[in-house]
Amino acid sequence: MDNVLKNSRQTSERAENSYFEGDRVIWIVVFMLAAISILVVYSAAGSLAFRRMEGDTEYYLLKHASLVLLSLVAMWLCHKVDFRYYSRLSRFALLISVPILIATWFFGTTINEATRWITIPFINQSFQASDLAKLALIANVASMLSKRQQSIHEFQRAILPILFWCGLICGLIALSDLSGAALLFATCVLLMFIGRVPVRYLGMLFFIGITVAILALQIGQRKETAMRRFTNFISTDHKEIPFQTEQSYIAIASGELTGKGPGNSDQRNFLPYPYSDFIFAIIVEEYGLFGGFFVIMLYLTLLYRGMLAMAKSERAFGGLLSAGLSFSLVVQAFVHMGVTLGVVPVTGLPLPLLSMGGTSLFFTGIALGIILSVSRGEIEDLEPQTQADEEKIFRRG
Amino acid sequence: MRRLILLRVRISFWLVGLLALVMMYRIVHIQFVDGDTWRSRARGLDNRTIEATRGNIYSDNGSLLATSLPFYRVAIDPTIADSLVFYSGIDSLSMLLERFYKEKSAVQYRKELVEARQKKRLYKILSMKYISHKDKRILETYPILREGRSGGGVIFEKINRRTHPYPNLARRTVGFISEGDTTKELIGKGLEFSFNEQLSGRDGEALYQFIAGGYWKPVHDVSKVRPENGLDVQTTIDINLQDTIHRVLDKKLRQYDADYGVAIVMEVATGEVKAIVNLGKNSKGEYTENNNYAVGNSGLAEPGSTFKLASMLAIFEETQVKLDDIVQTGSTGEYSFFDDAVMRDIVPYGKLTLQEVFEKSSNIGTSRLVHKYFRKDPMRYVEHLANWHLTSPIDFQMVGEAAPFIKKPTDASWSGSTLPWMSIGYELKISPMHILMLYNAVANNGKMLQPIIVKRVLRANKTVLEYEAKVLNAQIASPRSIDMAKQLLEGVVTQGTAKALSKADYKIAGKTGTAEKVIKGKYTEDHYTSFVGYFPADAPRYSCIVVVDDPKDKNDRYASQVAAPIFKDIADIVYNKFIYKPIPTKAEADSAMLRLPVIKAGLRDELDVLCQKFGIQTFTQTDKDWVQTKVQGDTVVWLENNIQPKLVPNVIGMRLRDAIFILENAGLKVSYKGKGRIKAQSLSPNTAFKKGSPILLRLE
Repeated sequence: MDNVLKNSRQTSERAENSYFEGDRVIWIVVFMLAAISILVVYSAAGSLAFRRMEGDTEYYLLKHASLVLLSLVAMWLCHKVDFRYYSRLSRFALLISVPILIATWFFGTTINEATRWITIPFINQSFQASDLAKLALIANVASMLSKRQQSIHEFQRAILPILFWCGLICGLIALSDLSGAALLFATCVLLMFIGRVPVRYLGMLFFIGITVAILALQIGQRKETAMRRFTNFISTDHKEIPFQTEQSYIAIASGELTGKGPGNSDQRNFLPYPYSDFIFAIIVEEYGLFGGFFVIMLYLTLLYRGMLAMAKSERAFGGLLSAGLSFSLVVQAFVHMGVTLGVVPVTGLPLPLLSMGGTSLFFTGIALGIILSVSRGEIEDLEPQTQADEEKIFRRG
Repeated sequence: MRRLILLRVRISFWLVGLLALVMMYRIVHIQFVDGDTWRSRARGLDNRTIEATRGNIYSDNGSLLATSLPFYRVAIDPTIADSLVFYSGIDSLSMLLERFYKEKSAVQYRKELVEARQKKRLYKILSMKYISHKDKRILETYPILREGRSGGGVIFEKINRRTHPYPNLARRTVGFISEGDTTKELIGKGLEFSFNEQLSGRDGEALYQFIAGGYWKPVHDVSKVRPENGLDVQTTIDINLQDTIHRVLDKKLRQYDADYGVAIVMEVATGEVKAIVNLGKNSKGEYTENNNYAVGNSGLAEPGSTFKLASMLAIFEETQVKLDDIVQTGSTGEYSFFDDAVMRDIVPYGKLTLQEVFEKSSNIGTSRLVHKYFRKDPMRYVEHLANWHLTSPIDFQMVGEAAPFIKKPTDASWSGSTLPWMSIGYELKISPMHILMLYNAVANNGKMLQPIIVKRVLRANKTVLEYEAKVLNAQIASPRSIDMAKQLLEGVVTQGTAKALSKADYKIAGKTGTAEKVIKGKYTEDHYTSFVGYFPADAPRYSCIVVVDDPKDKNDRYASQVAAPIFKDIADIVYNKFIYKPIPTKAEADSAMLRLPVIKAGLRDELDVLCQKFGIQTFTQTDKDWVQTKVQGDTVVWLENNIQPKLVPNVIGMRLRDAIFILENAGLKVSYKGKGRIKAQSLSPNTAFKKGSPILLRLE
C-alpha cells in the first residue's frame, strides 16, 4: 500500500514542472488520436462538404480542428483540477441534466429522426444533452459506490440509490437514443461490478434494464427503428445485409493491409455519416489493417493506463471514477467498431475522440481530463472529507 | 477489499481485451476471407461508356422521321435533404407525385420516402416511368426536388430514346432496332436496322471516378475514347405525301375490312420512293404499319393480272405481233390446256384483238398467246423475266427483302400448266415493289432503275454518302415493245377494266390485278387486288402501286372496284402537289397578302409556332416577346411592340387573352366589349396612367 502511495507521489513530482501533468502515456495516446481524427475527418467529411457547403472542404477541416482543440483545452483544464472536486461537481451536473434531457425530449432539434440535440442559445451550437448526462452519471455512480463500500451488500442502502439514478438517466436517454442508453447502462453495470456490488444484484439489474428499455420504447420515438434494426440483425437471411454494413465491408476490404492512403477513400461517398458513425471503416480503408490494429491498440492502451491510474489511486472514488470513464470510452469505441465490422446491429455511435461531433468530442475531452487528474493523485490538502470514513476502509483494504 | 476491486477490474479489462481481439479477427476476416467479394462491389472507379448520339432519319425535305431525345427516370437520395427541407416538403411532394405519376397514393409515397430516409437508403426510384424533358422541368419545381441533386437528393437518370415526330407514318419503313433478349445480337427492321452502322456511331469510353455528391467525374490523364456520333440518314420519303396516302389507304382498308394494304409512289426518272405505306390489321382491328408488305416476305403474293405486262413484253420481244392481231378466247369462257388445267375468263369474250385481251384482262387470251410462242422453249420466257430482274431480289436498301418465287422449267415442280398460269400471274410470288419496278421501267422508256429510299448519309449538314438509283437494265425491251406496252396500259384506263380512272384531268396508264388466293390448295373467292401504273401517261413522272389484300365487300371485290379508285385518289394528290402548275395571274399574286391569315399582334413565340405549322414565312426584326406585324409580300414581319413600364401598352390587333395579360400586368383594370381582335383601346397607347385605372377595349 505504501509502495503505491510513494509511486504516485513520485509521478506527480516528476511532472511538476511540466504543463502536462498526470500519465504521459495517456497524453501521447490522446494526441495521436486527435491527429488521426483530424486527418480522417477531413477526408471523410469531403462528401458532407459537397452536400452542405458546396465543396468547401476546408470548412469542416477548420471546424473539426477547432473542436478538437477545444476538447483538448477542456481536457487540460480538467486535469488541473483535483479529482475529489468532481464528486460534488458531478452531483450538480447530474441534477441539471435531468431537466435538460426532458427539455431536449420536448423541444430538441430532430437530426436524423432522433431528438437528441438541443441548441444552446447565443452561440448556436447544437448540444447533445445525453453526453453531459452520461459523464455526470458515471462520475456519480463512482462517487456513490465509493461512499457505500462498507455497506455494499445492503441492497436498500447501497444499491437502490444507484439504481434509481441509473434507471432515471438511462430511461430519459433511451427515449431518443436507445443504443446510447443501453451502452451507458451496461457501463454502469460494469462499474458496479468493479465496485464490488454482489453479482446476484447485477443479475437483477439486467432484468430491470430490459424492462426500462421496453418501457422507453413504448413511450419514445425509436421503437420502430430499434425493432427493424434488431430484426435485420438477427435475421438469418444473409442476402439482405444492410446497405451501410455492406458499404462498410467494402471499405474495410478495399483497405487491405496498408490502406489506400490518407484522403483516398472512395467509400466515403457511399457510407452514410462516414465522418462519425462509420469513421472506423474509413480508417481501415485509408490506413489499412495496420492502421485499424493501431487504433485498437491505442484504445487498449488508454484503458490500461486508466486502470493503472486506478491502481495508483488512494481513494476508491478516484479509482472507480477513472475505471468508469475509461471503460465507458473504450467500450463505446469497441461497440462503434463492432457496428462497422458487422458484429453489432447498426446504430449511430461515434468513435470517441475520432469522430466529428462537437458535444461528444468536448465531453470525451473532459472525461480524459478527469482520468488524467486521477492519475496525478491528490494535489492539495482538502478540508476533512465527508467520505473520510470509507476512504480509510479502502486504504486498509 | 481493494484487492477484490482490482481483481474485478482486471477481469473487465480482459473482457474488453477479448472484444478487441474479436474486432481484429473481424477485420482480418472481412479483408481476407470475404475480401474479394466485397472489393468487387466497390464502385470507386469505373470505365464508363459515353453513349454516342444516334443519327436522325429525315424525310426528303429534312423533316424528322426518327430522332433520339433525352428521357429521364427520376430517383431520389432521401438522406440528402436536411430535416427541415425534407419534412416541410414531403407532404406536398407526395401529393404532387400522386398527381404527376398517378401510380401510388400520396400516403404511400410519403410512407416510402420517409422509410427510405430512415433506413438511410441512398437511392429510391420514384417511378420506373421515363419522363420527357418537359416533364422533368415540371418535377424540378416540386418541393425537395427543387433543391437539386446536392440539396434535395433528386437524381435524374438520362437515357436517349428514339422518338418519332410522326408516330404512325412510315413506321415500318423507319423500323426499329434492339438487342435480343437472350443474346446481345441486334435485331430490328426497316431503315433503323438496315442503316444501323451509319446511324449508331461509336460509343466512347472514359475512366470515371465516383465523387462526393453522387457524381461521376472523368479522371484526366487517362486515355479516353471519344464517342463518334451517328450519321444522319436522309430518305426520299415526302412526309406530306406519306401522310395523305396513309390516311387515304387507312380509310379504304377500313371500308373494305381488308387484311392489309400497300401503296408505293415512285419517281419515274430517279427511282426514288416518295411514299411507302404498309398497313396491316392488328389484333384490335386497327390498321398500323406492322409489316413490310411492300418489300418483305409478308407482302409476297401471286400478283395476278398485273403480271400480264411481263408476258406481253416477252411476246413483243420474241415476235412481230401487232396490237390489232386477233386472238380467239372462245365462246364458253373456258379453255382447257389439259384435262384438269382449265383456264377461265370472267365472261366469254369470243374474238378479241391483242389490245382488247390486255384491256379486258382476258386470262385465256394472254395464256394462249404465251403458250403459243413459248411452249417450245419456256426457258426463253423465264430468261426474259430474269433479264428484267423479276426472278431475284432487287437488292433494295432495306434488310429483309423478299426473294421472288418464280419457277424454272428445270424445276421438279414445273408442269405443263405452269407456263400458262405463270403468264397471268399465278404459280409465282413476287412483292409489290418488284412489280412497280417493272412498270416504272416501262414508264421510263425501258430504263429499269433499282428503287431507292435512302438518298444520302449526312454528318451534320455535310453529305458523306450519296445514293443514286442503280440502272439495272438500260433498255429492258426494244422501243417498239415499250411503245406497245404503253399503249396497252393506256388502253386499260381509256376503255378497259380501269375505265373509271379516265376521268382525271391528266392521263393515267396502268393495269388492274385481281388474284384469287389459294387456301388449302384451292383457288377461292378471297382476292388479292392491285392496281399498278404511272401518270401522266404521255410524260410519266410518277409510278404507283396499290395493293388491297382480301377486301370483304360483297359487291366490290375486284381490283377495278377496290385498288383502282385508291390509285386514282393517290394520283390526284401527287398530281396536284408536284405536277399541276397553274400559271399564276397577277391578281392571284396580289392576293397572297389576303390569303395570309390575320395576325396582327401577340406573343412572338406563339405566333412563330402558329406560322410554322401553317407554313407561313416569317421574318423577325425584334427580339422582344411582344410583337406587332406587317405583311411584306408573302412574308409576315414581326415588329417590336414597345411595352414600357408606366405607359399604357399598345394592345391593338391582339387577341383578348394576350391583351388582358399585358394590361392587368401593367396594373390596369380591363373591361371589354365585342368579339374578336382588339380594335380600339380607351386609353391611348404610350401615355402615362395611374395604377388601377380602368381601360375599355373594343373588339371586332
